[in-house]
Amino acid sequence: MPALPPLATEAIHAFIVGFIVLNVIIGMVTYVTLLERKFAARMQSRIGPYRVGPHGLLQPIADALKLMMKEDVVPRQADRRVYNLAPIVFLVPCMLIFATLPFAPGLGVADLNIGILFFLAVSAMEIVGLFMGGWGSNNKYALISAMRAVNQIISYDLPFIFVALIPVVLTGSLRLSDIAAAQAGMPFVLWAPYWLPLGPLAFLAYIVTTLAAENRVPFDILEAESELIAGFRVEYSGMKFALIQLGEYAHVIGTSFLGALLFLGAWSGPWSDTSAGWGATWFLLKAMFVFLLVTWIRWSFVRIRVDQILAISWKLLLPASLVLLMATGLVVALRSTGNG
Amino acid sequence: MARPPLGESFWRDLYELCRAVARAMKVTLINFIRRPVTVHYPTKSRAYPDRYRGLLALTYDKETGEENCIGCRLCEYICPPQVIKVEMLKAEKRNFAKTFTLELYACEFCELCVQVCPTDAIIMMKSFDMSTADRRELLLDKDRLHDIGLRFEPSWATGNLLRDMQTPPKAAKAGGPAE
Amino acid sequence: MDPEARKVVELGYGGSERLTMNMGPQHPSAHGVFRAILSLEGETVVGVDAVIGYLHRCHEKLGETLTYTQYPSIASKTDYVAAMCSELAYVRAAEAVGKIEVPKRAQYLRVIVSELQRVASHCLWLGTWCLDMGGALGGGATVFLYCIREREWVLDLFEALVGARLLYGFHQVGGVRYDIPAGWAQKCRETIALIERRLIEYEDMLERNAFFQARTQGVGTISRELAQTVGLSGPLIRGSGVSYDIRRLEPYSSYEDFDFKVPVETAGDCYARYRVRMVEFRESIKIVRQALDGLPEGPVSSRPGVKSVGQVRVAKGEGYARVEGPRGEVGCYLISDGSAKPYRMKWRGASFSNLSVLPHILIGTKVADVVAIMGSVDPVFGEVDR
Repeated sequence: MPALPPLATEAIHAFIVGFIVLNVIIGMVTYVTLLERKFAARMQSRIGPYRVGPHGLLQPIADALKLMMKEDVVPRQADRRVYNLAPIVFLVPCMLIFATLPFAPGLGVADLNIGILFFLAVSAMEIVGLFMGGWGSNNKYALISAMRAVNQIISYDLPFIFVALIPVVLTGSLRLSDIAAAQAGMPFVLWAPYWLPLGPLAFLAYIVTTLAAENRVPFDILEAESELIAGFRVEYSGMKFALIQLGEYAHVIGTSFLGALLFLGAWSGPWSDTSAGWGATWFLLKAMFVFLLVTWIRWSFVRIRVDQILAISWKLLLPASLVLLMATGLVVALRSTGNG
Repeated sequence: MARPPLGESFWRDLYELCRAVARAMKVTLINFIRRPVTVHYPTKSRAYPDRYRGLLALTYDKETGEENCIGCRLCEYICPPQVIKVEMLKAEKRNFAKTFTLELYACEFCELCVQVCPTDAIIMMKSFDMSTADRRELLLDKDRLHDIGLRFEPSWATGNLLRDMQTPPKAAKAGGPAE
Repeated sequence: MDPEARKVVELGYGGSERLTMNMGPQHPSAHGVFRAILSLEGETVVGVDAVIGYLHRCHEKLGETLTYTQYPSIASKTDYVAAMCSELAYVRAAEAVGKIEVPKRAQYLRVIVSELQRVASHCLWLGTWCLDMGGALGGGATVFLYCIREREWVLDLFEALVGARLLYGFHQVGGVRYDIPAGWAQKCRETIALIERRLIEYEDMLERNAFFQARTQGVGTISRELAQTVGLSGPLIRGSGVSYDIRRLEPYSSYEDFDFKVPVETAGDCYARYRVRMVEFRESIKIVRQALDGLPEGPVSSRPGVKSVGQVRVAKGEGYARVEGPRGEVGCYLISDGSAKPYRMKWRGASFSNLSVLPHILIGTKVADVVAIMGSVDPVFGEVDR
């Protein structure tokens, strides 16, 4: 049998790997919703989903089936093309961020040498989908919420980028696997040069910007269920709604993974040198820890108004993240001149 | 104690924010560890108190086994939403109720019918397990009311007990605080 | 509200065009069925038109067709969150017109039950307010579930006393209908001690929380003059600096026997009203403890137990009785013609008068503040629409 040209084999290889990763991510996203519901329920003195399957383990499947069977209602005056495309434009960037994440040394879809830049750029593209959803719905509530969201995400992307750059400065490379490998000895969250808690502060800032970039309480003014019902999602039902939910939770998981990678040392842990399986497991556990931390914050606070959210971003987080970045750069420069 | 809202003083805001976050998260963590208060109804149900106002039922006399209801219609007249309809049947020694219908779907569960009944015939049960998909099943006739009376556990309140609790005592009788 | 604002116009986010937004009767944060037609410029509310009447159930007509023995069981449906206080207003009005005595034990029981109801009602207020502000999927829901959990314990107490959890029929003309069962006083003390400890948790979660303060301080300020002109009562007027509490001004049902503080704050914003209600929690618990300690022996009603529907007749006359409900002054005006039914009965709903302050304080706020303000005004639409 004639050998396929190398480009074709690579393409097929990439397709298969991408397919597997995508399915694993989707599976994980649906079960993360269950994890969040059970976790939130315990914090509220109740039990979460319990009846569907043993201890509610089949609940996400039931939800998915329900959403697939729902009627697809398009509002009469809605801009059909924009309305229909919005969930897809929202979902694709949220899925694409998993492309550069290395789940274990050598195990990843595409370990780009501008990994983190790709992640940040692509995750910012979901704003377009969000606004398309709000505009195409022909609904004042959706429009108000979409505008608030654009405002918020743009303001929080800057501190997000600066905080994400701190591990880059420490490692000296944009490639995500390099950043992960550089934490083999000590994760960056514990980095405290000259007793300045720069590592923990950076992790804290990362958590806050993550909350805001994903529209989670206390920064979820865009959905604000009690005022705007569901924000830009209000006119979506059925499978389109499922896609939007999928995209949101995928984004949350993606930033949790990124947080675990940037600050908690990705796949390093006991026995991780022995096999990629252990590395991936540690990575997953750390990502779930970040996710649970974000969830814990979500279920503990009331939300704040949009002008206050923007005030926090511009007046608090941006200066703070800039200061941290500069301090990191200064320390790294001092150490390198001291050594070399 | 009023503090200035966010955006006024940089370092103080940061500090206050961190403290507030830690405090609130401590509360949710404490509640995370506490046992949930959920009662797994219907596999388990909580203990209903003695005076629970549940389903309505008609009773039989304990000694003679006769129906207690004498068809006096006092319950019909006092019922605020008028869900009870009684027809009296006259007999030699005492009267009976020929028909007794109670529309449970409209009942307020105010216990006024129980209060006025002179013979403790109508009482309430310590249960409400009669959910149905068809409202007509909740139009209770006399047989069903007697059946409910035998099936569930009766509540403490009967007409005479309630009236005794409320009536101010005469000189020699001890009324007032009930058991 | 100017007719210009009623037109639906294209939204220009530059801020010069107006958008009419309907916070309709079905709305998760409307606290009931309430319609507010807001005119917005950007995020700022420039006009509000409140529409009520979605829960009208003809209570005042029912008062004319039901007798004095029947109506108290329905009276709870006006302010269903503070059912005991609503019933008390009607029953006191009948007693005032007919000059009917109420024995001391019944008065103390009424006080215990009213103050417990105040605790339960404020629990619900805090829970739903945080739910509105914090989101049904978020911290608001957490506080909501904690508050409902505490409220359920108070309702368990009522269930042990009366048999029902929300619509009681506890008060009757001349006294109360039920006496406390054995062991109830002990259970009551344990419950309120527990609630007092849990209050500290709520305050931890909310009070010194910068998010919460940013959301509630300076928002929805009612000035002292406005409060006195518009006819507010309850925590709204006490949060604006006027010490007006009917339990102090015209003590009814032995309130003069108890030692409690009437909290007054001067700021007039949502945070001040929150502080007033949090202090009221503790004061109510104090009053319940004092009443339980000093509960006198005796009958629970000055009239014999109800045996027939027309048993209670009130002499001819008219009168007004008011109680301090958790939302303000709940009053009942009764005209009696000597028969077993009132000739005319009129409810003064606390929330109805409190809602009239909305056009004054909502103008100029942001949409998110509308929700916070509605929550701190704490309307219950059973009282508003009757």
